Amino acid sequence: MSMTHLLRGERTKFASLRSTWWCLGALTVLGLGFNALVPALLVGGWNTMDPATREQFRTDTLGLVLQPGAQWAQVAACVLGVLLLASEFSTGTIRSTVLATPRRTPVLAAKAAVFAGVLFAFGVLIAIPSLLVGSALVSAHATIALGSVASVRAVLGFGVYLALTGVLALSVGALVRHTAGAVATILALQFVLPAVSQLLPGSVGQHVAQALPASANVMLGSGHGSSSVYSPLQGLLILLAWTAVAYAAAHLSLEKRDV
Amino acid sequence: MRTTDAPALEARGLTRRYGGRTVVDDVSFQVVPGRVTGFLGPNGAGKSTTLRLLLGLERPDSGEALVFGRPYAELEAPLATVGALLEARSFHPGRSARNHLLALARSAGLPDARVEHVLAQVGLAEAADRRAGGFSLGMGQRLGIAAALLGDPRVVVLDEPVNGLDPEGILWVRTLARRLAAEGRTVLISSHLMNEMALTADHLLVIGRGRLLADCSTAEFIERHTDPEVYAATPAVARPALLEEAFLRLTSDSAQYTAA
Repeated sequence: MSMTHLLRGERTKFASLRSTWWCLGALTVLGLGFNALVPALLVGGWNTMDPATREQFRTDTLGLVLQPGAQWAQVAACVLGVLLLASEFSTGTIRSTVLATPRRTPVLAAKAAVFAGVLFAFGVLIAIPSLLVGSALVSAHATIALGSVASVRAVLGFGVYLALTGVLALSVGALVRHTAGAVATILALQFVLPAVSQLLPGSVGQHVAQALPASANVMLGSGHGSSSVYSPLQGLLILLAWTAVAYAAAHLSLEKRDV
Repeated sequence: MRTTDAPALEARGLTRRYGGRTVVDDVSFQVVPGRVTGFLGPNGAGKSTTLRLLLGLERPDSGEALVFGRPYAELEAPLATVGALLEARSFHPGRSARNHLLALARSAGLPDARVEHVLAQVGLAEAADRRAGGFSLGMGQRLGIAAALLGDPRVVVLDEPVNGLDPEGILWVRTLARRLAAEGRTVLISSHLMNEMALTADHLLVIGRGRLLADCSTAEFIERHTDPEVYAATPAVARPALLEEAFLRLTSDSAQYTAA
């Protein structure tokens, strides 16, 4: 059993389900769509916009044209990530898998590698046109330096954000083993907890919210956004830590529990 | 292989408990090549659990489950060593039969050509590109058997293979099992259908309430556990039909279900 073989097998599994292509299609539409929609709406409402929002618009234009798409595209990445492993458990495919490759943890690694690779590629391919379209949309009020370090970081960051979030969801699927339960868990982590934490008093809520994995979308901004308390690098490390812990737990769970 | 002398399949004091209930209780046996070994027991006797332990899907609480002297998980080429059909469905309903088998073959490093070979062998070549979720019970069993044969394995384990098959399918499984054994492979088939086992199995392992009750040839089993008068009055050619009676006499006190 070699990693090359495992990667080929997992790639075949990944590509041979309709749900994969539905989720990737949804991911592309959500990513491109919200990246264009949000700046377009803000530009349309420019005349009635308060000065503080205008200021933020100018300081973090990059985040404005990339973060909305990432925020929504991650829903598709999370659902697909959960399906990859939780559906193996719910359908019994996992039994065929571990009979063919009884060392279970390399299977998890191969699955994560295939999925992360695909999500990174989709992320970058969504981010590049989004940046071009976004830059044109906001041109009357702000400029984006397309060749700048921040822009390159944001484009790669889009791919990294989706890839790490996807692996986090895959790990949750391995732990929960039940499709609906795992989808609910990951979406609560990505959407409900950030919203709830905003209700905490003072800057506590902001700090809590930004310690959650979704805070890594700061990677997609200029690094000067007034709403973020962490730098792009810190955001990346926070998401990396969440994903690493979930992956390690998934690894142990696969090793210890019966299938 | 370094362990050529080891039996193909071996259980050594195999014990498995779920909560406080002992499902497999100190079971020891060896399964050897060249014959069909039938694994019999009432529903809930521990057949499937024993097979899952042999295949490394569960870990025993004590004892060992070995394939050519090693735990399944330590086999170098698992699919080329053991092919298994499990009782429960083990494929994704949204994936075609061909893609299911291709993914398994590629993961295990087997050539894609094996997939076409086993699809033809089990009679699924025509249906290979249909989503397996639309398969009948019998077609699902055939897909499971195709997966079991994928690696051209030396040992074949089939858990209730004739479930859902029509008479033609049942005959096909019987012929297949006998041919695999004649080729020198090790064949272990579990079933609760006595007449089918009487026709297919040369050797029997009988399990009841988690304990091994018999490990002998089919003919010997029938002779030992049938009413002597009935046995003597039955012509030799009809004796396989006595397996059910022999089995029921042996297991009548062990077919008790633990209330949930």
